[in-house]
Amino acid sequence: MAVNGAQIVIDRLSHMYRPPHGKPVLAVDDVSLAVGEREFLALLGPSGCGKSTLLYLLGGFLPTETGSITVDGKPITGPGPDRGIVFQHFALFPWKTVRANVMYGLKRAGLPRDEQEKRAQAFIDLVGLHGFEESYPSQLSGGMKQRTAIARTLAIDPEILLMDEPFGALDAQTRSLMQTELLSIWERSPKTVIFVTHDVQEAVYLARRIAVMSARPGRIKAIIETNFDRRDPHLFKSKPFVDKVDEIWDLVRAEAIKAQGTRST
Amino acid sequence: MTAALSGVAFRYLPIVILAVLWQMASEFGWVSTAVLPPLSSVFEAGWGLITSDDFWVNAGASLYRGGVGLLLAIVIGAALGIGMAWWRPVRALLSPIVEIFYPLPKSALIPVTALWLGFGDASKILLIFLGCMLPVTIGAFNGARGSERTLVWSARSLGAGRLRTLWDVVVPSAMPELLNGVRTALALSWVLLVASELIVARAGLGYLIGFMGDGGNYDGMFAVVLFVALLGFIADRLYQMAMQRALRWRE
Amino acid sequence: MARIDDTLAPTGAWLQGPRFASVLRACGRQLIAWSPVIVLLIAWEAVARSGLVTPFMLPTFTGVLERIATDTASGDLPVALGMTMWRALAGFFISAVAGIALGVAMARSRAFNWFFDPIISIGFPVPKIAFLPIIVLWLGFFDLSKITIIVFNSIFPVVTATVVGVRGVEKELIWSARNFGTSERALTWDVLLPAALPQIFTGLQVTLPIALIVGILTEMAMGGYGIGASMQTASRFADSLGVFAGIVEIAVVGYVLVKLMSLLRARLLVWHPEALEPTTA
Repeated sequence: MAVNGAQIVIDRLSHMYRPPHGKPVLAVDDVSLAVGEREFLALLGPSGCGKSTLLYLLGGFLPTETGSITVDGKPITGPGPDRGIVFQHFALFPWKTVRANVMYGLKRAGLPRDEQEKRAQAFIDLVGLHGFEESYPSQLSGGMKQRTAIARTLAIDPEILLMDEPFGALDAQTRSLMQTELLSIWERSPKTVIFVTHDVQEAVYLARRIAVMSARPGRIKAIIETNFDRRDPHLFKSKPFVDKVDEIWDLVRAEAIKAQGTRST
Repeated sequence: MTAALSGVAFRYLPIVILAVLWQMASEFGWVSTAVLPPLSSVFEAGWGLITSDDFWVNAGASLYRGGVGLLLAIVIGAALGIGMAWWRPVRALLSPIVEIFYPLPKSALIPVTALWLGFGDASKILLIFLGCMLPVTIGAFNGARGSERTLVWSARSLGAGRLRTLWDVVVPSAMPELLNGVRTALALSWVLLVASELIVARAGLGYLIGFMGDGGNYDGMFAVVLFVALLGFIADRLYQMAMQRALRWRE
Repeated sequence: MARIDDTLAPTGAWLQGPRFASVLRACGRQLIAWSPVIVLLIAWEAVARSGLVTPFMLPTFTGVLERIATDTASGDLPVALGMTMWRALAGFFISAVAGIALGVAMARSRAFNWFFDPIISIGFPVPKIAFLPIIVLWLGFFDLSKITIIVFNSIFPVVTATVVGVRGVEKELIWSARNFGTSERALTWDVLLPAALPQIFTGLQVTLPIALIVGILTEMAMGGYGIGASMQTASRFADSLGVFAGIVEIAVVGYVLVKLMSLLRARLLVWHPEALEPTTA
């Protein structure tokens, strides 16, 4: 599958998950997908459908065994600062302050100290955490933790942003604020974003293209384009938006029911 | 201020009551002073001791042995534990050996180390090193194994190499359990030190306790025992304070 | 259907069945997992035979096994082992019973807590083994003083674990028990102790090795019969076979006791979520 102009090309990718005890599970099954530069793509599916596994393969955290993933034509061999990641449970270094967390990637990049501090401060300000630089993650609310994690990842200026249900652990209000904020950050400095979620409305609101995944083993069931004016305050109540959510929800519902049935616990 | 002070006084009042009972017991002849010397004469003997060079020579010997042995145990024990968590071959090789030796009652090592290295400093250092290493190893291992994979992944995707990640993520993640293991090792080191000095030694605080007891100097013996108890208590409190400081990021 | 066939199969038939293969596989896995220990023992034997070290520093493993066999046949080892175990276990059980009782009392009564809390919190980190000569002075050289020292050393972890465990019992659990009309006395037995059992058992698991360590120490310092005492005598007479035989014996005892405790824990705490977790040991 050769796609001209695509930045990320996933070709016939499968992944087997082998738990230490028990049978191997096919988590990702024959997925092919191309993502263009500066595209905002959502991976949508029921929990346990392998969408996070797909993201971890993109991140290079899990080894690619069957099929291939290339970024700018080069196969992925491991994690790297060209692909920043934001996890659902923040994954902040709990022993580092907000400032030290945001500075970490800059330090690894070998920036001079004063440069690190300046850049870290800029991103802390960007996500609205001015005044909390010296706080430890344990002293922050969930939303603040996720802002820190986003600042930490944006600070190293990755070309690709991988987000693994980043707002899934937040309460409803914080979540909707963070969604708007993410969009405004993305509009200011567009990056390729791959956004994993199981929330249909979130996917429709944020992404320009939505890849709907089936229940395990995870396959791409449909790819749906969306285009809404996201600055419209009444967007969530508008007919086209609601229709789109309904359309996709119908696709996901069947898979969610299937996923419930196969859940082992 | 005064409220806080009286709170502390009320809290430690039982200790004062025990001390007063002790003094009264020998004062009023409830028990023979040969069996329980009055607290006041124990304090007198203690003052005599801490103004003598002899005492500090013995205390120095004990602290040197305990310090070196414990330091070796912490450094090597932590390295082994983290190595076991990070490299599978190291784990496969060492975990059965650790599992066999961990439940070994450490005091059984006293005659062995005496057999190998005699009755001096070297045998005590080896004893404390061998006896205290495994609690540190186990703490470090459990802590390092428990480090979250998303933290490791975050460091890797922020540009850290494998060794860098080991140092920046796995070691700090292991710290809470590692430091708990060290606390166990600290307590164990006192037991092994004092006991081995009581059993086979020519210097040290444990030796001094036995020496005074054999010589019938019970005032002095009680004083050294209380001194050792106090040292152990202070060492633990200082360690706890240092540990809390080192782990202040956990709320 | 297959299961019924299995149970009805005549004894011996399992030798051919898939079960035999799986038993064999399990044995093989165990053997591989423990191979480092076997390698260690072979290395011991090889080094001792190579002449790199004198037999005094390291006797051969087979020589040590022979010594253990002779001591067993002569009755020395069973007596020594029995004496060591009797004192260590007596000390352990007294610490367990008294420690749990004191812990419950401290958790339930303010007065008890006021009096004992500073004593326990100061006494816990103190190297209590230093008090050994004082106990000898008071109680003499025999079992009574040895067991007293063991209890003195090993009661503290039980008390603190019990206090933490009982205080940690959820209020709702106590309230609902009261609601059913549970008396204060029954509350302790039926609610507090079972609910605090995980912590209490952890305290006991910490304490058992302490009892063994201190028991051996008292024998080394004070003599009498026991494995520690015979190791000490062997060491004094430069009888290194005796010392190493003692180490092997005591290592086996320690290992068996620790394993028994974790088996017991798994049995007693089947209801606890921890029973579902994979064991780390």
